[in-house]
Amino acid sequence: MLEVAHLSVQYGRHRAVDNVGLTVGAGEIVVVLGANGAGKSSVLKAVAGLQRPGTGTRVTLGGRELVGLPAHTIVEAGLALVPEGRGIFGELTVRENLLLGAFARRARADEDRNRARVLALFPRLAERLEQTARTMSGGEQQMVAIGRALMSAPEFLLLDEPSLGLSPLLCGELFRALERIRGDGISVLLVEQNAKRSLAIADRGYLIENGRVVGAGRAADLARDPAVQRAYLGGTRQG
Amino acid sequence: MLLEVTLSGVTLGGMYALVAMGLTLQYGVARIMNLSYGELLIAAAFAALWFYSGLALSPLLGLLVVPPLAFALSYAIYRILLQPLVRRAKTRDALEVDSILATFGLLFVIQGVMLAVFGGAYYSYSFLSIPLNIAGATVAANRLLALVLAVVIGLGLYLALTRTRLGTAVRAVAVDPVAAQLVAIDVRTASALAFALGGALVAAAGVLVSMFLTFNANLGVVFTLKALVVVIMGGVGNLLGALIAGLILGLVENYVAVFIDPGLTLAATYAIFLIVLLVRPQGLLGRSSR
Ligand SMILES: Nc1ncnc2c1ncn2[C@@H]1O[C@H](COP(=O)(O)OP(=O)(O)O)[C@@H](O)[C@H]1O
Ligand SMILES: [Mg+2]
Repeated sequence: MLEVAHLSVQYGRHRAVDNVGLTVGAGEIVVVLGANGAGKSSVLKAVAGLQRPGTGTRVTLGGRELVGLPAHTIVEAGLALVPEGRGIFGELTVRENLLLGAFARRARADEDRNRARVLALFPRLAERLEQTARTMSGGEQQMVAIGRALMSAPEFLLLDEPSLGLSPLLCGELFRALERIRGDGISVLLVEQNAKRSLAIADRGYLIENGRVVGAGRAADLARDPAVQRAYLGGTRQG
Repeated sequence: MLLEVTLSGVTLGGMYALVAMGLTLQYGVARIMNLSYGELLIAAAFAALWFYSGLALSPLLGLLVVPPLAFALSYAIYRILLQPLVRRAKTRDALEVDSILATFGLLFVIQGVMLAVFGGAYYSYSFLSIPLNIAGATVAANRLLALVLAVVIGLGLYLALTRTRLGTAVRAVAVDPVAAQLVAIDVRTASALAFALGGALVAAAGVLVSMFLTFNANLGVVFTLKALVVVIMGGVGNLLGALIAGLILGLVENYVAVFIDPGLTLAATYAIFLIVLLVRPQGLLGRSSR
Protein backbone atom coordinates (compact mmCIF):
# COMPACT_ATOMS: atom_id res chain seq x y z
CA MET A 1 0.00 0.00 0.00
CA LEU A 2 1.17 3.50 -0.92
CA GLU A 3 0.00 6.10 1.57
CA VAL A 4 0.33 9.84 1.15
CA ALA A 5 -0.72 12.11 3.99
CA HIS A 6 -0.50 15.85 4.67
CA LEU A 7 1.44 16.38 1.45
CA SER A 8 2.32 19.97 0.70
CA VAL A 9 4.57 21.47 -1.95
CA GLN A 10 5.76 25.04 -1.90
CA TYR A 11 7.47 26.95 -4.74
CA GLY A 12 8.89 30.08 -3.15
CA ARG A 13 5.84 31.71 -1.60
CA HIS A 14 3.40 29.83 -3.81
CA ARG A 15 1.78 26.82 -2.17
CA ALA A 16 1.05 24.50 -5.09
CA VAL A 17 -0.11 21.49 -3.04
CA ASP A 18 -1.82 21.76 0.33
CA ASN A 19 -2.52 18.91 2.74
CA VAL A 20 -3.16 16.26 0.09
CA GLY A 21 -3.86 12.73 1.25
CA LEU A 22 -4.40 9.66 -0.89
CA THR A 23 -3.81 5.93 -0.89
CA VAL A 24 -3.18 3.30 -3.53
CA GLY A 25 -3.88 -0.26 -2.50
CA ALA A 26 -2.25 -3.38 -3.93
CA GLY A 27 -3.60 -4.15 -7.40
CA GLU A 28 -5.53 -0.90 -7.72
CA ILE A 29 -5.65 1.70 -10.45
CA VAL A 30 -6.20 5.08 -8.81
CA VAL A 31 -6.68 8.22 -10.89
CA VAL A 32 -6.12 11.81 -9.82
CA LEU A 33 -8.15 14.25 -11.90
CA GLY A 34 -7.57 17.96 -12.06
CA ALA A 35 -7.27 20.88 -14.44
CA ASN A 36 -3.99 22.39 -15.62
CA GLY A 37 -2.10 23.89 -12.72
CA ALA A 38 -4.13 22.05 -10.07
CA GLY A 39 -0.95 20.56 -8.61
CA LYS A 40 -1.08 17.03 -10.01
CA SER A 41 2.50 16.90 -11.25
CA SER A 42 3.76 18.42 -8.02
CA VAL A 43 2.12 15.59 -6.09
CA LEU A 44 3.79 12.91 -8.22
CA LYS A 45 7.18 14.64 -8.14
CA ALA A 46 7.06 14.92 -4.37
CA VAL A 47 6.16 11.24 -4.00
CA ALA A 48 8.95 10.19 -6.40
CA GLY A 49 11.55 12.32 -4.62
CA LEU A 50 12.12 14.84 -7.43
CA GLN A 51 10.61 17.68 -5.41
CA ARG A 52 11.08 18.27 -1.71
CA PRO A 53 7.70 18.31 0.07
CA GLY A 54 6.82 20.56 3.02
CA THR A 55 7.30 19.56 6.65
CA GLY A 56 4.64 17.25 8.00
CA THR A 57 4.36 15.36 4.73
CA ARG A 58 4.25 11.59 5.07
CA VAL A 59 4.69 9.17 2.20
CA THR A 60 4.98 5.49 3.03
CA LEU A 61 5.33 2.47 0.77
CA GLY A 62 4.46 -0.75 2.54
CA GLY A 63 5.07 1.08 5.81
CA ARG A 64 8.50 2.41 4.80
CA GLU A 65 8.92 6.20 4.98
CA LEU A 66 9.97 7.67 1.61
CA VAL A 67 10.10 11.38 2.45
CA GLY A 68 13.69 12.61 2.40
CA LEU A 69 15.03 9.71 0.35
CA PRO A 70 16.75 10.68 -2.91
CA ALA A 71 14.81 9.83 -6.07
CA HIS A 72 17.17 7.00 -7.08
CA THR A 73 16.63 5.25 -3.75
CA ILE A 74 12.86 5.53 -4.08
CA VAL A 75 13.07 3.56 -7.33
CA GLU A 76 14.91 0.84 -5.41
CA ALA A 77 12.04 0.85 -2.91
CA GLY A 78 9.65 -0.18 -5.68
CA LEU A 79 8.13 2.98 -7.05
CA ALA A 80 8.56 4.06 -10.68
CA LEU A 81 7.47 7.38 -12.19
CA VAL A 82 6.71 8.06 -15.85
CA PRO A 83 7.06 11.85 -15.69
CA GLU A 84 5.24 14.57 -17.56
CA GLY A 85 6.78 14.80 -21.02
CA ARG A 86 7.90 11.15 -20.69
CA GLY A 87 11.53 11.74 -19.69
CA ILE A 88 12.96 9.07 -21.98
CA PHE A 89 16.63 9.22 -23.00
CA GLY A 90 16.10 10.67 -26.47
CA GLU A 91 19.67 10.22 -27.67
CA LEU A 92 19.76 6.56 -26.66
CA THR A 93 18.17 3.62 -28.44
CA VAL A 94 15.04 1.81 -27.29
CA ARG A 95 17.22 -1.12 -26.22
CA GLU A 96 19.41 1.17 -24.11
CA ASN A 97 16.38 2.85 -22.55
CA LEU A 98 15.05 -0.56 -21.47
CA LEU A 99 18.52 -1.65 -20.31
CA LEU A 100 18.70 1.39 -18.05
CA GLY A 101 15.18 0.75 -16.80
CA ALA A 102 16.66 -2.30 -15.13
CA PHE A 103 19.58 -0.36 -13.64
CA ALA A 104 18.02 -0.70 -10.19
CA ARG A 105 19.44 -3.59 -8.19
CA ARG A 106 15.93 -4.78 -7.42
CA ALA A 107 15.32 -5.24 -11.16
CA ARG A 108 18.25 -7.50 -12.02
CA ALA A 109 16.88 -10.87 -10.94
CA ASP A 110 13.75 -10.69 -13.13
CA GLU A 111 15.22 -8.59 -15.93
CA ASP A 112 14.67 -11.11 -18.75
CA ARG A 113 11.12 -11.88 -17.69
CA ASN A 114 10.25 -8.18 -17.38
CA ARG A 115 11.73 -7.44 -20.81
CA ALA A 116 9.65 -10.22 -22.33
CA ARG A 117 6.56 -8.79 -20.64
CA VAL A 118 7.25 -5.27 -21.85
CA LEU A 119 7.80 -6.44 -25.41
CA ALA A 120 4.61 -8.51 -25.25
CA LEU A 121 2.74 -5.48 -23.95
CA PHE A 122 4.19 -3.20 -26.66
CA PRO A 123 5.12 -5.40 -29.65
CA ARG A 124 6.07 -2.27 -31.60
CA LEU A 125 9.08 -1.80 -29.33
CA ALA A 126 10.37 -5.25 -30.23
CA GLU A 127 10.61 -4.13 -33.88
CA ARG A 128 12.31 -0.86 -32.96
CA LEU A 129 14.95 -1.88 -30.42
CA GLU A 130 17.81 -0.23 -32.32
CA GLN A 131 15.96 3.01 -33.09
CA THR A 132 17.03 6.24 -31.39
CA ALA A 133 14.16 7.03 -29.03
CA ARG A 134 13.90 10.68 -29.99
CA THR A 135 13.06 9.79 -33.61
CA MET A 136 9.94 7.82 -32.65
CA SER A 137 6.33 9.02 -32.72
CA GLY A 138 4.71 10.38 -29.56
CA GLY A 139 2.79 7.18 -28.93
CA GLU A 140 5.90 5.03 -29.36
CA GLN A 141 7.88 7.28 -27.04
CA GLN A 142 5.18 6.84 -24.41
CA MET A 143 5.57 3.06 -24.80
CA VAL A 144 9.33 3.43 -24.25
CA ALA A 145 8.69 5.51 -21.14
CA ILE A 146 6.24 3.03 -19.65
CA GLY A 147 8.37 0.07 -20.70
CA ARG A 148 11.44 1.60 -19.10
CA ALA A 149 9.52 2.17 -15.86
CA LEU A 150 8.26 -1.42 -15.87
CA MET A 151 11.81 -2.71 -16.31
CA SER A 152 12.60 -1.47 -12.79
CA ALA A 153 10.20 -4.12 -11.43
CA PRO A 154 8.02 -1.62 -9.57
CA GLU A 155 5.25 -2.42 -7.14
CA PHE A 156 3.75 0.99 -7.84
CA LEU A 157 3.72 2.69 -11.22
CA LEU A 158 3.05 6.45 -11.27
CA LEU A 159 2.11 8.10 -14.57
CA ASP A 160 1.81 11.84 -15.23
CA GLU A 161 -0.72 12.51 -18.00
CA PRO A 162 0.40 9.66 -20.26
CA SER A 163 -2.44 10.27 -22.74
CA LEU A 164 -1.37 13.87 -23.42
CA GLY A 165 -0.93 14.41 -27.15
CA LEU A 166 -2.01 10.91 -28.19
CA SER A 167 -4.68 10.24 -30.81
CA PRO A 168 -7.95 8.68 -29.53
CA LEU A 169 -6.89 5.37 -31.02
CA LEU A 170 -3.51 5.37 -29.23
CA CYS A 171 -5.24 6.55 -26.07
CA GLY A 172 -7.39 3.45 -26.15
CA GLU A 173 -4.29 1.25 -26.57
CA LEU A 174 -2.58 3.04 -23.70
CA PHE A 175 -5.42 2.55 -21.23
CA ARG A 176 -5.79 -1.10 -22.21
CA ALA A 177 -2.05 -1.51 -21.53
CA LEU A 178 -2.52 0.01 -18.06
CA GLU A 179 -5.24 -2.54 -17.31
CA ARG A 180 -2.90 -5.35 -18.34
CA ILE A 181 -0.17 -3.89 -16.13
CA ARG A 182 -2.55 -4.00 -13.18
CA GLY A 183 -3.34 -7.57 -14.20
CA ASP A 184 0.35 -8.36 -13.68
CA GLY A 185 0.00 -7.24 -10.06
CA ILE A 186 1.42 -3.72 -10.36
CA SER A 187 -0.57 -0.92 -8.70
CA VAL A 188 -1.07 2.21 -10.77
CA LEU A 189 -1.40 5.84 -9.70
CA LEU A 190 -2.46 7.83 -12.72
CA VAL A 191 -2.72 11.59 -13.12
CA GLU A 192 -4.98 12.59 -15.99
CA GLN A 193 -7.08 15.24 -17.61
CA ASN A 194 -8.81 12.62 -19.74
CA ALA A 195 -11.46 11.83 -17.14
CA LYS A 196 -13.74 9.61 -19.17
CA ARG A 197 -11.16 7.07 -20.25
CA SER A 198 -9.23 7.03 -16.99
CA LEU A 199 -12.33 6.63 -14.82
CA ALA A 200 -13.38 3.75 -17.06
CA ILE A 201 -10.32 1.69 -16.09
CA ALA A 202 -9.74 3.02 -12.55
CA ASP A 203 -10.94 1.52 -9.27
CA ARG A 204 -10.97 4.80 -7.38
CA GLY A 205 -10.36 8.47 -8.07
CA TYR A 206 -9.50 11.76 -6.44
CA LEU A 207 -10.41 15.23 -7.63
CA ILE A 208 -7.85 17.94 -7.05
CA GLU A 209 -8.33 21.71 -7.41
CA ASN A 210 -5.90 24.47 -6.48
CA GLY A 211 -3.66 21.99 -4.71
CA ARG A 212 -6.37 20.46 -2.52
CA VAL A 213 -8.36 17.27 -2.70
CA VAL A 214 -11.97 18.33 -3.27
CA GLY A 215 -13.52 14.94 -3.88
CA ALA A 216 -12.81 11.21 -3.80
CA GLY A 217 -14.68 8.03 -4.42
CA ARG A 218 -15.11 4.87 -6.45
CA ALA A 219 -14.42 5.49 -10.12
CA ALA A 220 -17.86 4.31 -11.20
CA ASP A 221 -19.52 6.73 -8.77
CA LEU A 222 -17.30 9.62 -9.85
CA ALA A 223 -18.12 8.96 -13.49
CA ARG A 224 -21.84 9.29 -12.68
CA ASP A 225 -21.48 12.32 -10.38
CA PRO A 226 -23.10 15.36 -12.07
CA ALA A 227 -20.52 17.73 -10.59
CA VAL A 228 -17.68 15.61 -11.99
CA GLN A 229 -19.42 15.39 -15.33
CA ARG A 230 -19.73 19.17 -15.46
CA ALA A 231 -16.12 19.79 -14.44
CA TYR A 232 -14.21 16.98 -16.13
CA LEU A 233 -16.49 15.28 -18.62
CA GLY A 234 -17.77 18.36 -20.43
CA GLY A 235 -18.23 18.27 -24.19
CA THR A 236 -15.02 20.23 -24.84
CA ARG A 237 -12.71 17.50 -23.68
CA GLN A 238 -11.77 14.70 -26.00
CA GLY A 239 -12.57 11.33 -24.68
CA MET B 1 57.33 12.46 -46.87
CA LEU B 2 53.55 12.71 -47.07
CA LEU B 3 53.19 9.35 -45.34
CA GLU B 4 55.59 10.37 -42.59
CA VAL B 5 53.76 13.61 -41.93
CA THR B 6 50.42 11.80 -42.03
CA LEU B 7 51.57 9.18 -39.55
CA SER B 8 52.86 11.72 -37.09
CA GLY B 9 49.69 13.76 -37.60
CA VAL B 10 47.56 10.73 -36.82
CA THR B 11 49.58 10.12 -33.65
CA LEU B 12 49.10 13.69 -32.50
CA GLY B 13 45.43 13.47 -33.48
CA GLY B 14 45.08 10.30 -31.43
CA MET B 15 46.36 12.21 -28.38
CA TYR B 16 43.91 15.04 -29.04
CA ALA B 17 41.07 12.55 -29.40
CA LEU B 18 41.94 10.87 -26.10
CA VAL B 19 42.18 14.21 -24.32
CA ALA B 20 38.89 15.33 -25.86
CA MET B 21 37.12 12.15 -24.80
CA GLY B 22 38.14 12.81 -21.22
CA LEU B 23 36.94 16.39 -21.38
CA THR B 24 33.67 15.17 -22.89
CA LEU B 25 33.19 12.98 -19.83
CA GLN B 26 33.93 15.83 -17.45
CA TYR B 27 31.90 18.43 -19.28
CA GLY B 28 29.16 16.35 -20.86
CA VAL B 29 28.38 14.18 -17.85
CA ALA B 30 29.51 16.08 -14.76
CA ARG B 31 28.85 19.51 -16.34
CA ILE B 32 32.19 20.79 -15.07
CA MET B 33 34.06 23.03 -17.49
CA ASN B 34 37.50 22.15 -16.18
CA LEU B 35 40.06 24.79 -17.12
CA SER B 36 42.78 22.96 -15.15
CA TYR B 37 42.27 19.90 -17.35
CA GLY B 38 45.53 20.20 -19.35
CA GLU B 39 47.57 20.72 -16.17
CA LEU B 40 46.90 17.12 -15.23
CA LEU B 41 48.28 16.04 -18.61
CA ILE B 42 51.54 17.88 -17.98
CA ALA B 43 51.70 16.60 -14.40
CA ALA B 44 51.34 13.07 -15.75
CA ALA B 45 54.06 13.76 -18.31
CA PHE B 46 56.40 14.86 -15.51
CA ALA B 47 55.46 11.77 -13.53
CA ALA B 48 56.39 9.58 -16.51
CA LEU B 49 59.67 11.49 -16.85
CA TRP B 50 60.41 10.85 -13.19
CA PHE B 51 59.57 7.16 -13.64
CA TYR B 52 62.00 6.93 -16.54
CA SER B 53 64.92 9.14 -15.46
CA GLY B 54 64.50 9.04 -11.69
CA LEU B 55 63.46 5.45 -11.06
CA ALA B 56 64.74 3.93 -14.32
CA LEU B 57 61.33 2.39 -14.90
CA SER B 58 59.54 2.15 -18.22
CA PRO B 59 56.94 4.83 -18.96
CA LEU B 60 54.68 1.90 -19.83
CA LEU B 61 54.72 1.07 -16.14
CA GLY B 62 53.85 4.72 -15.58
CA LEU B 63 50.81 4.12 -17.76
CA LEU B 64 49.63 1.53 -15.26
CA VAL B 65 50.30 3.68 -12.20
CA VAL B 66 49.71 7.33 -13.14
CA PRO B 67 46.13 7.17 -14.52
CA PRO B 68 44.76 5.41 -11.41
CA LEU B 69 46.43 8.09 -9.28
CA ALA B 70 44.89 10.78 -11.47
CA PHE B 71 41.55 9.03 -11.09
CA ALA B 72 41.80 9.19 -7.31
CA LEU B 73 43.00 12.81 -7.35
CA SER B 74 40.22 13.90 -9.71
CA TYR B 75 37.64 12.04 -7.63
CA ALA B 76 38.84 13.87 -4.52
CA ILE B 77 38.84 17.22 -6.33
CA TYR B 78 35.27 16.60 -7.44
CA ARG B 79 33.99 15.54 -4.04
CA ILE B 80 35.82 18.22 -2.03
CA LEU B 81 36.05 21.24 -4.30
CA LEU B 82 33.33 20.85 -6.91
CA GLN B 83 30.49 19.02 -5.21
CA PRO B 84 29.70 22.01 -2.95
CA LEU B 85 29.30 24.05 -6.15
CA VAL B 86 27.06 21.35 -7.63
CA ARG B 87 24.93 21.38 -4.50
CA ARG B 88 24.36 25.11 -4.44
CA ALA B 89 23.99 25.66 -8.21
CA LYS B 90 20.37 26.33 -9.13
CA THR B 91 20.81 25.38 -12.77
CA ARG B 92 23.35 23.58 -14.93
CA ASP B 93 24.32 26.91 -16.49
CA ALA B 94 25.05 28.38 -13.06
CA LEU B 95 27.21 25.34 -12.30
CA GLU B 96 29.14 25.87 -15.51
CA VAL B 97 30.06 29.45 -14.54
CA ASP B 98 31.01 28.43 -10.98
CA SER B 99 33.12 25.52 -12.18
CA ILE B 100 34.98 27.72 -14.66
CA LEU B 101 35.98 30.08 -11.85
CA ALA B 102 36.96 27.30 -9.44
CA THR B 103 39.00 25.30 -11.96
CA PHE B 104 40.64 28.50 -13.24
CA GLY B 105 42.04 28.87 -9.74
CA LEU B 106 43.05 25.22 -9.69
CA LEU B 107 44.93 25.74 -12.96
CA PHE B 108 47.29 28.23 -11.31
CA VAL B 109 47.75 26.07 -8.23
CA ILE B 110 48.84 23.00 -10.20
CA GLN B 111 50.87 25.03 -12.68
CA GLY B 112 52.52 26.97 -9.85
CA VAL B 113 53.62 23.78 -8.12
CA MET B 114 55.05 22.39 -11.35
CA LEU B 115 56.87 25.64 -12.12
CA ALA B 116 58.32 25.66 -8.61
CA VAL B 117 59.61 22.10 -8.99
CA PHE B 118 60.66 21.98 -12.65
CA GLY B 119 60.97 25.65 -13.68
CA GLY B 120 60.04 26.75 -17.18
CA ALA B 121 62.57 24.58 -19.03
CA TYR B 122 61.59 22.04 -21.67
CA TYR B 123 61.96 18.37 -20.83
CA SER B 124 62.03 15.18 -22.81
CA TYR B 125 63.49 11.73 -22.49
CA SER B 126 64.47 9.25 -25.10
CA PHE B 127 62.45 6.11 -24.80
CA LEU B 128 62.27 3.70 -27.74
CA SER B 129 63.54 6.34 -30.13
CA ILE B 130 64.27 3.70 -32.73
CA PRO B 131 63.46 4.59 -36.32
CA LEU B 132 61.04 2.14 -37.90
CA ASN B 133 60.45 1.81 -41.60
CA ILE B 134 56.83 1.60 -42.67
CA ALA B 135 56.16 1.48 -46.41
CA GLY B 136 59.18 3.69 -47.03
CA ALA B 137 58.34 6.20 -44.32
CA THR B 138 60.43 6.53 -41.18
CA VAL B 139 58.59 6.69 -37.88
CA ALA B 140 59.97 6.63 -34.36
CA ALA B 141 58.91 3.53 -32.45
CA ASN B 142 57.80 5.61 -29.48
CA ARG B 143 55.34 7.53 -31.65
CA LEU B 144 53.91 4.37 -33.09
CA LEU B 145 53.60 2.80 -29.66
CA ALA B 146 51.86 5.92 -28.32
CA LEU B 147 49.42 5.77 -31.21
CA VAL B 148 48.65 2.09 -30.70
CA LEU B 149 48.10 2.61 -26.98
CA ALA B 150 45.88 5.63 -27.61
CA VAL B 151 43.77 3.56 -29.99
CA VAL B 152 43.52 0.72 -27.45
CA ILE B 153 42.55 3.06 -24.59
CA GLY B 154 40.13 5.09 -26.70
CA LEU B 155 38.48 1.99 -28.14
CA GLY B 156 38.25 0.38 -24.72
CA LEU B 157 36.56 3.45 -23.30
CA TYR B 158 34.21 3.68 -26.26
CA LEU B 159 33.17 0.06 -25.86
CA ALA B 160 32.76 0.42 -22.10
CA LEU B 161 30.53 3.45 -22.55
CA THR B 162 28.40 1.98 -25.32
CA ARG B 163 28.29 -1.75 -24.55
CA THR B 164 27.89 -1.95 -20.78
CA ARG B 165 25.00 -0.98 -18.53
CA LEU B 166 27.22 1.17 -16.32
CA GLY B 167 28.67 3.00 -19.33
CA THR B 168 25.20 3.51 -20.77
CA ALA B 169 24.14 4.91 -17.39
CA VAL B 170 27.00 7.42 -17.53
CA ARG B 171 25.83 8.55 -20.98
CA ALA B 172 22.25 8.74 -19.71
CA VAL B 173 23.32 11.26 -17.07
CA ALA B 174 24.70 13.42 -19.88
CA VAL B 175 21.42 13.12 -21.82
CA ASP B 176 19.02 13.83 -18.94
CA PRO B 177 20.15 13.96 -15.31
CA VAL B 178 16.59 14.14 -13.96
CA ALA B 179 15.37 11.13 -15.89
CA ALA B 180 18.54 9.30 -14.84
CA GLN B 181 17.43 9.49 -11.20
CA LEU B 182 14.14 7.88 -12.23
CA VAL B 183 15.99 4.72 -13.28
CA ALA B 184 17.79 4.50 -9.94
CA ILE B 185 21.04 6.09 -11.11
CA ASP B 186 22.81 8.00 -8.33
CA VAL B 187 23.60 11.06 -10.43
CA ARG B 188 26.08 12.59 -7.98
CA THR B 189 28.18 9.45 -7.79
CA ALA B 190 27.97 8.93 -11.55
CA SER B 191 29.15 12.52 -12.08
CA ALA B 192 32.05 12.05 -9.66
CA LEU B 193 33.07 8.85 -11.44
CA ALA B 194 32.81 10.46 -14.89
CA PHE B 195 34.94 13.37 -13.72
CA ALA B 196 37.52 11.01 -12.27
CA LEU B 197 37.54 8.88 -15.42
CA GLY B 198 38.15 12.03 -17.47
CA GLY B 199 41.12 12.79 -15.22
CA ALA B 200 42.51 9.28 -15.68
CA LEU B 201 42.17 9.62 -19.43
CA VAL B 202 44.03 12.92 -19.67
CA ALA B 203 46.76 11.49 -17.43
CA ALA B 204 47.11 8.50 -19.75
CA ALA B 205 47.42 10.94 -22.64
CA GLY B 206 50.08 12.82 -20.65
CA VAL B 207 52.20 9.68 -20.24
CA LEU B 208 51.86 8.87 -23.95
CA VAL B 209 52.67 12.45 -25.03
CA SER B 210 55.79 12.48 -22.87
CA MET B 211 57.14 9.49 -24.81
CA PHE B 212 57.54 11.51 -28.02
CA LEU B 213 57.10 15.26 -27.36
CA THR B 214 59.08 17.81 -25.38
CA PHE B 215 57.03 19.55 -22.77
CA ASN B 216 57.26 22.18 -20.05
CA ALA B 217 55.24 23.29 -17.07
CA ASN B 218 53.42 25.99 -19.05
CA LEU B 219 52.01 23.71 -21.72
CA GLY B 220 48.85 22.60 -19.90
CA VAL B 221 46.76 25.49 -21.13
CA VAL B 222 47.54 24.62 -24.74
CA PHE B 223 46.15 21.11 -24.25
CA THR B 224 43.08 22.43 -22.43
CA LEU B 225 42.37 24.75 -25.35
CA LYS B 226 42.91 22.03 -27.96
CA ALA B 227 40.67 19.67 -26.02
CA LEU B 228 37.96 22.34 -25.92
CA VAL B 229 38.30 22.97 -29.64
CA VAL B 230 38.08 19.25 -30.40
CA VAL B 231 35.09 18.71 -28.10
CA ILE B 232 33.15 21.59 -29.62
CA MET B 233 34.18 20.61 -33.14
CA GLY B 234 33.05 17.02 -32.60
CA GLY B 235 29.78 17.97 -30.96
CA VAL B 236 29.51 18.32 -27.19
CA GLY B 237 29.06 14.94 -25.51
CA ASN B 238 29.75 13.00 -28.70
CA LEU B 239 32.60 10.49 -28.30
CA LEU B 240 32.82 9.53 -31.96
CA GLY B 241 32.77 13.22 -32.89
CA ALA B 242 35.68 13.87 -30.52
CA LEU B 243 37.64 11.06 -32.17
CA ILE B 244 37.11 12.37 -35.70
CA ALA B 245 37.71 16.01 -34.76
CA GLY B 246 40.90 15.05 -32.86
CA LEU B 247 42.30 13.23 -35.89
CA ILE B 248 41.42 16.11 -38.23
CA LEU B 249 43.12 18.61 -35.94
CA GLY B 250 46.27 16.51 -35.55
CA LEU B 251 46.57 15.97 -39.30
CA VAL B 252 45.94 19.60 -40.27
CA GLU B 253 48.41 20.88 -37.69
CA ASN B 254 51.13 18.60 -38.97
CA TYR B 255 50.45 19.32 -42.65
CA VAL B 256 50.46 23.05 -42.04
CA ALA B 257 53.61 22.90 -39.90
CA VAL B 258 55.55 20.86 -42.46
CA PHE B 259 54.23 22.04 -45.81
CA ILE B 260 53.38 25.68 -45.11
CA ASP B 261 54.89 27.21 -41.99
CA PRO B 262 55.26 25.95 -38.39
CA GLY B 263 54.24 29.41 -37.17
CA LEU B 264 50.81 28.94 -38.68
CA THR B 265 49.76 25.77 -36.76
CA LEU B 266 47.77 27.61 -34.15
CA ALA B 267 46.20 29.83 -36.78
CA ALA B 268 45.18 26.71 -38.71
CA THR B 269 43.66 25.18 -35.60
CA TYR B 270 41.45 28.17 -35.03
CA ALA B 271 40.63 28.56 -38.70
CA ILE B 272 39.10 25.04 -38.78
CA PHE B 273 37.45 25.71 -35.47
CA LEU B 274 35.80 28.87 -36.80
CA ILE B 275 34.72 27.18 -40.02
CA VAL B 276 33.06 24.36 -38.09
CA LEU B 277 31.39 26.83 -35.72
CA LEU B 278 30.01 28.82 -38.64
CA VAL B 279 28.88 25.90 -40.79
CA ARG B 280 27.87 23.36 -38.11
CA PRO B 281 27.53 25.15 -34.76
CA GLN B 282 26.38 21.90 -33.15
CA GLY B 283 29.67 20.23 -34.15
CA LEU B 284 30.52 17.59 -36.76
CA LEU B 285 28.36 14.85 -35.21
CA GLY B 286 26.35 16.91 -32.73
CA ARG B 287 22.58 17.31 -32.82
CA SER B 288 21.15 20.75 -33.45
CA SER B 289 19.51 20.75 -30.02
CA ARG B 290 20.83 18.96 -27.00
N1 LIG C 1 9.13 24.48 -10.57
C1 LIG C 1 8.11 25.32 -10.27
N2 LIG C 1 8.37 26.55 -9.81
C2 LIG C 1 7.36 27.41 -9.52
N3 LIG C 1 6.07 27.10 -9.64
C3 LIG C 1 5.73 25.89 -10.10
C4 LIG C 1 6.73 24.93 -10.43
N4 LIG C 1 6.13 23.81 -10.87
C5 LIG C 1 4.81 24.05 -10.80
N5 LIG C 1 4.58 25.29 -10.33
C6 LIG C 1 3.25 25.89 -10.09
O1 LIG C 1 2.55 25.05 -9.19
C7 LIG C 1 1.21 24.91 -9.59
C8 LIG C 1 0.89 23.44 -9.81
O2 LIG C 1 1.65 22.97 -10.91
P1 LIG C 1 1.63 21.46 -11.39
O3 LIG C 1 1.88 20.59 -10.22
O4 LIG C 1 2.54 21.34 -12.54
O5 LIG C 1 0.11 21.29 -11.85
P2 LIG C 1 -0.55 20.26 -12.87
O6 LIG C 1 0.38 19.14 -13.07
O7 LIG C 1 -1.81 19.86 -12.22
O8 LIG C 1 -0.80 21.03 -14.14
C9 LIG C 1 1.02 25.77 -10.83
O9 LIG C 1 0.50 27.01 -10.42
C10 LIG C 1 2.42 25.92 -11.35
O10 LIG C 1 2.55 27.15 -12.02
MG1 LIG D 1 1.20 18.45 -14.83
